[in-house]
Order: sequence, then C-alpha cells, then structure tokens
Amino acid sequence: MITPQDEYSLIDKILAGDQQIYSQLVDRYKSYAFTIAFKILENRAEAEEAAQDSFIKAYHYLRKFNRQSKFSTWLYRIVFNTAISYKRKSKPGFQRIETAIVEYSERSDKQLERDDKQLFVGKAMNSLNETDRLAIQLFYIQEFSLEEVAEMMGQNLNTIKVRIHRARQRLGDELNRILKQEALTL
Amino acid sequence: MRYLDGDLTPHEQESFKQELLANPQLQKRLDEVQPVHTYLKGKARLEHPSKNFTQKVMEGLSSTPIRTALSYKRGLLLFVGTLLASAIALVLLSSGVFDAPTTPLVVDAPIQNELINVPSLRIPFNGKIIVNGIIFLNLGLALILLDRTILRPLFQRRAEVGY
Repeated sequence: MITPQDEYSLIDKILAGDQQIYSQLVDRYKSYAFTIAFKILENRAEAEEAAQDSFIKAYHYLRKFNRQSKFSTWLYRIVFNTAISYKRKSKPGFQRIETAIVEYSERSDKQLERDDKQLFVGKAMNSLNETDRLAIQLFYIQEFSLEEVAEMMGQNLNTIKVRIHRARQRLGDELNRILKQEALTL
Repeated sequence: MRYLDGDLTPHEQESFKQELLANPQLQKRLDEVQPVHTYLKGKARLEHPSKNFTQKVMEGLSSTPIRTALSYKRGLLLFVGTLLASAIALVLLSSGVFDAPTTPLVVDAPIQNELINVPSLRIPFNGKIIVNGIIFLNLGLALILLDRTILRPLFQRRAEVGY
C-alpha cells in the first residue's frame, strides 16, 4: 500500500529529473485513467489515446501539482477533461461492428426476461444527459469515491449526489415506459 | 436507494423489508429501479488498456507539448499593435482627414504628344470607405489574435490543470 507521502517522494524524484520513475505512476493508475476515458468516449482506441495523452500532460504539468489533493484525483481530472475534449472533437460515427453483433444463445425465459431488461436499461441510459450518465457510471465503479467523482467532474459533492439520485429515478421511469411500450407492441 | 447501495443498517433493512410487504407501490418502484442497479453494477468494472500502454506514454514524454504558433508575449504585442492601428485610423477618420466625398485617382497616360492624345484615367474612390474597411479588418485580426494567443491557451491551461 502506497501512501500519498510515498507518492509525493516519487514525484519529487521525477521533478529532479528521473523520468523513468514516472512509469511507476503510469502503471499504478493506467486502468483507472483508461476506464474514465472509456466511459466518456465509449471507444477503446480513442480512450487509450486520451488516457495516454492525459499521462503526458500530467507529466508536463507535474510542477504545477500543488499537493493539496491526491495525485490520483488531480490525474483523474486531467483525464476527464482530456476525454471530454476528445469527445467534442470526434464526430459521431457508425456503431462498431463488434458491438453491433446481436448474440444468439439458448436461454431460459427467465434469463431472456432479465437480459431484455438489461438491454432496455442500456437504451434508457441514452435518455440521460451526458453529465448525469457519467456521474452514475463513475459512481458505480467501486474504486472511485463519491468525493473523487465530484472532484473529477469539477462539481460540488451535493450536486453529484443529487445527479446520481435523479439519474437512477429517471432510469427507473424510463425503463418502466419502455417495458410498457414493448408490452403494447406484442 | 440506500437499500440498493447496501447502506442500511440491519435494523433499517429489516423494517424496509416489512414496509415492502405492506406497500405494493414501494415494491413496484423497487422492481423498476432494481434492474437499473443490476445493470450499472454489471457494467462497473475497471477496464484495462493495452499491454504497451506504459511504454507508449514513456515514449511520448520526450515530445514537447503542443503550443500555439505564436507565443503569449508576441501575440499580446500584435494584439496591442492592431488595436493601436485601429485607434489611430479612427482618430484620423473622426478628425475629417478622409472626408473628401470623392477623391479621383488620376492615372496619367505614359505617352502624351500631339499625335496621340490619350485621356488620363480618373478613378473615383472614397477614402472613408477604404479606411473603414481597414479598421474593420484590423478589428477582426485583433479578435483572432485575442482568441488564439490569449484566451484559448488560458482556457486550455485551466482545463488541463484545474487547480
């Protein structure tokens, strides 16, 4: 377990010119950074590029890291902002073929019903605005605390709590509406 | 929601279950929200990047960060310069230097003698319109400079390192 103090001493060494030590920080946080970027961009290649870009930016701005928060929180904010700017630049494309394939398998009625519900929740997610959708997705990743989600998104803790609560309510309502609509078309 | 997140104490959990049995509306609402919770939990896993991720980052460290073509100082100087030029033109304009309604531009024929009589070419032009155009272009240029060299880098820096 590495404490923030250990991390600060690593940062001091990097700032003193030992560039190779930075790979330790990259190794430690790459999955978290990639997950945040992937949740925003929904494309592995783009997410990987955004996450790499974020680590490079963090390295160049390391001297400006004021150590009032954890390095991870500071880094996640850079990843979040970089991924958002990537998203603004990228044009909406076609659905990737690997995600577009509908799998067929022998499933029980109960399993089918459960899978359908999951599919409809996925559809309902599109009804949320981007900030609410991201807040709820990041909140469900156990590794990120509510405080971290708030800081990373540059929002007040209470605002994030309200957003998550509202998003779940809205998803429930939307799922209910979709299910009713599906029942009518049967 | 606290029930779904597992934030209730065992006692609170028990009384919530009792309430669920007594309140079909509450049960219905839970049935609506439960799949949402399951879906989000199922999707909530850490994603892993490619194996050479760290190597690529380390290779990218030596590249210099992308900067705008103009430095902040040079951009600011150019910005002030364009504003100054516009201000001078405006002062001249308001003092009536370009007030002559039509100043003919006279182009004399290169060869003039008794045999060939080429009338000199007179092109009327309004100095005020031209100066106005120059001022307009200058202000446009000043706005572009303000955006490229001052505002954009400022917001970029703020977005990247938000503290």
